[in-house]
Amino acid sequence: MANIIEVQDLTKRYGSGPPVLDRLSFRVQAGRIVGLIGRNGAGKTTLLKALLGLTPYHGSVRVFGLEASRDRHALMSEICFIADTGVLPRWLRVEHAIAYVEGVHPRFDRKRAEAVLARSAIARRARIGELSKGMITQLHLALILAIDARLLVLDEPTLGLDLIYRRAFYDTLLSDYLDKERTIVLTTHQIEEVENVLTDVLFIDHGRLALDLPVEELPQRFVQLNVAAGKGDSARALEPFYEREVFGRSMMLFEHRAPEVLAGLGEVRTPSIADLFVAKLTAPTASPEPPQPAAAGEAA
Amino acid sequence: MRVLLMQIRRELWEHRSLWIAPLLVGILLLAAVATLSQVQFFFGSSSTTVSPLVLMLFGWGIPFYLAAGIVVVVYLLDCLYGERRDRSILFWRSMPVSDTQTVLAKLLVGLVIVPLATFLFAAVTSLFASAILALRGHVQVNGQGSPSWNGLTWLRTQLILLYSLFAVMLWYAPYATYLMLASAWARRSPYAWAFVPPVLLAIFEYMLFGTNYLGRIVERGFNQLVRLAFSLDLQLAFSFGDTAVPAGARVSGRGLPQPMPSRLLESPQLWVGLAAAALMLVVVIRLRRYRDDS
Repeated sequence: MANIIEVQDLTKRYGSGPPVLDRLSFRVQAGRIVGLIGRNGAGKTTLLKALLGLTPYHGSVRVFGLEASRDRHALMSEICFIADTGVLPRWLRVEHAIAYVEGVHPRFDRKRAEAVLARSAIARRARIGELSKGMITQLHLALILAIDARLLVLDEPTLGLDLIYRRAFYDTLLSDYLDKERTIVLTTHQIEEVENVLTDVLFIDHGRLALDLPVEELPQRFVQLNVAAGKGDSARALEPFYEREVFGRSMMLFEHRAPEVLAGLGEVRTPSIADLFVAKLTAPTASPEPPQPAAAGEAA
Repeated sequence: MRVLLMQIRRELWEHRSLWIAPLLVGILLLAAVATLSQVQFFFGSSSTTVSPLVLMLFGWGIPFYLAAGIVVVVYLLDCLYGERRDRSILFWRSMPVSDTQTVLAKLLVGLVIVPLATFLFAAVTSLFASAILALRGHVQVNGQGSPSWNGLTWLRTQLILLYSLFAVMLWYAPYATYLMLASAWARRSPYAWAFVPPVLLAIFEYMLFGTNYLGRIVERGFNQLVRLAFSLDLQLAFSFGDTAVPAGARVSGRGLPQPMPSRLLESPQLWVGLAAAALMLVVVIRLRRYRDDS
């Protein structure tokens, strides 16, 4: 599969402060759904902005073979994105927003946007400033999802939406994805909601990659052990990278340990992405992965 | 082209004052001529040989262009600042529209579209107003009676106004791009950025050297333009209703002002100004492209 995104030594600083992004390198192949996961202030939004050519940076960010910061407007015919919800201008009318995107975007399908909006309570003549926050997000998503783009970049797309709308959104996203050859990069704090959607996860911590993992490799690479009573020390000898007490029982996470080795020590299972994230980012031994030759562990 | 047209429409959606202001002036003026008991136009000495109709038509345009001038200055100062203030720039830049296209569309709106639309508003209302004035016969130009209507004179006057408009666009292009530069540059208060630095610099220059070179370099007086663009020295003043003749208002010159496009286009001052405008435009585009304070 071709690489849609190739990031090499991406570094970004604001002013003279510490780098927000520190020599990041990774690749995203066509047709993947990548979750970019990190704590607040980890650099997720900055990374997405760099991918979209919205902010100057050092290093190389190539999207569809184009350098993002230089060729932004050419890229935007292939990409659609929500950099942040709530950035639709308040003075704009809903019908004008549709007309505008239709006017400037060659891949916009008005019927699809209208169909999505028909299910909402959004009035065509309303100004965006008159809509509720949730409605603005719905409108933005309706506009963006009606664009037939090869790469979809979403930064916290469901922020402020209720559960039912969030579910509906991810359903739409997935059915669109399955219909077309699409690549999706998204960030969210609600990892549980996207757990079954993602094909890849990128953990980002203090501007560096903490993990770059295709979800299908998760079971081979990480093992969760719910330690049986009295087996704590034996399990600890196998060097878990994370340990936590849950209801008086120890839960440990291991990397590159065969499940068979652990089988006698308790209940063995594959950790959830959410647990893995917490473990990776809070474990005392947690250290960012060294900048590795790109695409390592991602050769499909 | 499709994108450019959409960008222009988008500007007019956002800045409704751009078309409301000239429209309002037209409505107010028509309402005034329809209801006032007497309408007088004064252009100083009544011995002028410029026809009363031409004077009336010139005078008619003045409030339109004043209103348009004000809304255009406000527009240019806001056009690249407002989108950063409300962060909607993130939405605009998510569309496949280049920064160059966006900036050019904004300049085009401020410098060409609004002036031309204002011209059309003024021309159309002048027709309506002339009809009302002819019916009611209550107009006076310089104390003489109602000017007699002449379609050809009307057309020639409109052509001269149109020519003046293009001269004004070229002449004031550096001012327009300067305002856009302030708008693209300012983190807050583009007004302060636009007006304070040049005034301070001029004051410093005067205090330190007692000179005013800066002022002379950037000054692009209207009378100077009129002297360059026309074959006569024309100063207009305008008053409405029953007010007295403004002191010092006068028209010197004989006949219709003659456009002198070649003299204007050969003026180095015009070209220096246009070069400065182009340079500032490049800076504005780069600021929009590389600035990230959202």
